[in-house]
Amino acid sequence: MWETGSFFRYLLYQRGNPQQRIFLPNFWLKLVRPEHKQPPNIVQFIVSLQMTKYDIRNYLEKIYKIPVVDIRTVVAMGKTKQDELKGYVTKEDDCKVAFVTLPRGQEFEFPDLFPKDDKKLESDAKTLEETKKNYRQFLEKTKKRPGMPGWYSY
Amino acid sequence: MEFFDDKKNWGQSEVKVGRSWKPDELRIKKRALNYKVGGLVTCGNLKLRDRFPVLLYYKFAVKQFDFTISTEAISVILLVTLLFMFMFVRFVLLKERNMLLTMEHECKEQAELFPNPERIDKVEESMNNLETVVRERNEAYFKLETGQTGERPVCMRKGAVGLMYKHRMAEHTIPRSMNKKWQQNYKSYGHTRDARQFLKLYREKLFLEKRRARNRERNHVMGLMKRFPNLDLEAVKQQFPSVDIEKIRYHKKTRGHHENIC
Repeated sequence: MWETGSFFRYLLYQRGNPQQRIFLPNFWLKLVRPEHKQPPNIVQFIVSLQMTKYDIRNYLEKIYKIPVVDIRTVVAMGKTKQDELKGYVTKEDDCKVAFVTLPRGQEFEFPDLFPKDDKKLESDAKTLEETKKNYRQFLEKTKKRPGMPGWYSY
Repeated sequence: MEFFDDKKNWGQSEVKVGRSWKPDELRIKKRALNYKVGGLVTCGNLKLRDRFPVLLYYKFAVKQFDFTISTEAISVILLVTLLFMFMFVRFVLLKERNMLLTMEHECKEQAELFPNPERIDKVEESMNNLETVVRERNEAYFKLETGQTGERPVCMRKGAVGLMYKHRMAEHTIPRSMNKKWQQNYKSYGHTRDARQFLKLYREKLFLEKRRARNRERNHVMGLMKRFPNLDLEAVKQQFPSVDIEKIRYHKKTRGHHENIC
């Protein structure tokens, strides 16, 4: 997401073959819930398509300080969908999925980000009930004049 | 893991955050932001790559413009610029963006609302601002040291049908004249009769568009002068610089009905 004009480029030649460095990369990487059941030390990521295994390893090790044993990547094709009425086809973007193996003994479980809040559920149910009640009242009031808008009064 | 938001924000419908960093702040508060602002320095051992103009574009200067500079000077430039870059190594923005993307993805999976999605835009804006500032400094330094911007050079080139376009130069292993495959893939038809005919018509189209725009503006000014006899002509001149006011001042169309009354 840095400005697109300055995406990194592969260098063909550099004098003295020094260590290559990337500054301000526009790489992104998101942790996702594994689609299938995985061993506890395997973490699934979706990464930007340009990233290689080396990039992912360096990214995780240098920035997040996560020790990495192995990385496997696959480019997953985006799903296509056909419009029911008009019949045209739309396609989601392709993405690169990375399966990262943590060292033995380290475990990761994807947390539940939306814990069930009983209070909130109750209050939501209450508001719903209230809305229903109001609507019933409105219907009762406007029974004799069907189709008349709610803002019209006499 | 740092990929998730604060635990207290989980399941919330609103997360309050501040605004993005402005370029001016990044310019001034460089030292204060050292431990705040993100950038990344990483190394790929096997892949030869570099993204930032610092290392990449000095080579263009050397190769393509016959620009010579001593190795000591180059190393000093690189060292100083690298030092400047290293000051930003705290990765806050990158981490923040990854966190937001992770949360957004999970929200989509669970069919929940992602609270305050403008946070992603804010991070993006901050990143762009940071890059502008770094780029500014880089350019200033390069101009001081080498007299060139250090940006990726751009040249005008003729396309397949003879139209000119801006080409961003990149390094190649062999020159174009020796690259048979490239020549076959990117054949130029700019010299053919069809292309010339096309260019003729295309230029005519451009010219007509331009002329129409000019006439439209002139007619508009005429209408204005007709409807408002006490028009401030200086202001009109300023607003419509392409219109020659003196020429149309006594035109038939400029004269309003008010002048016909005897």
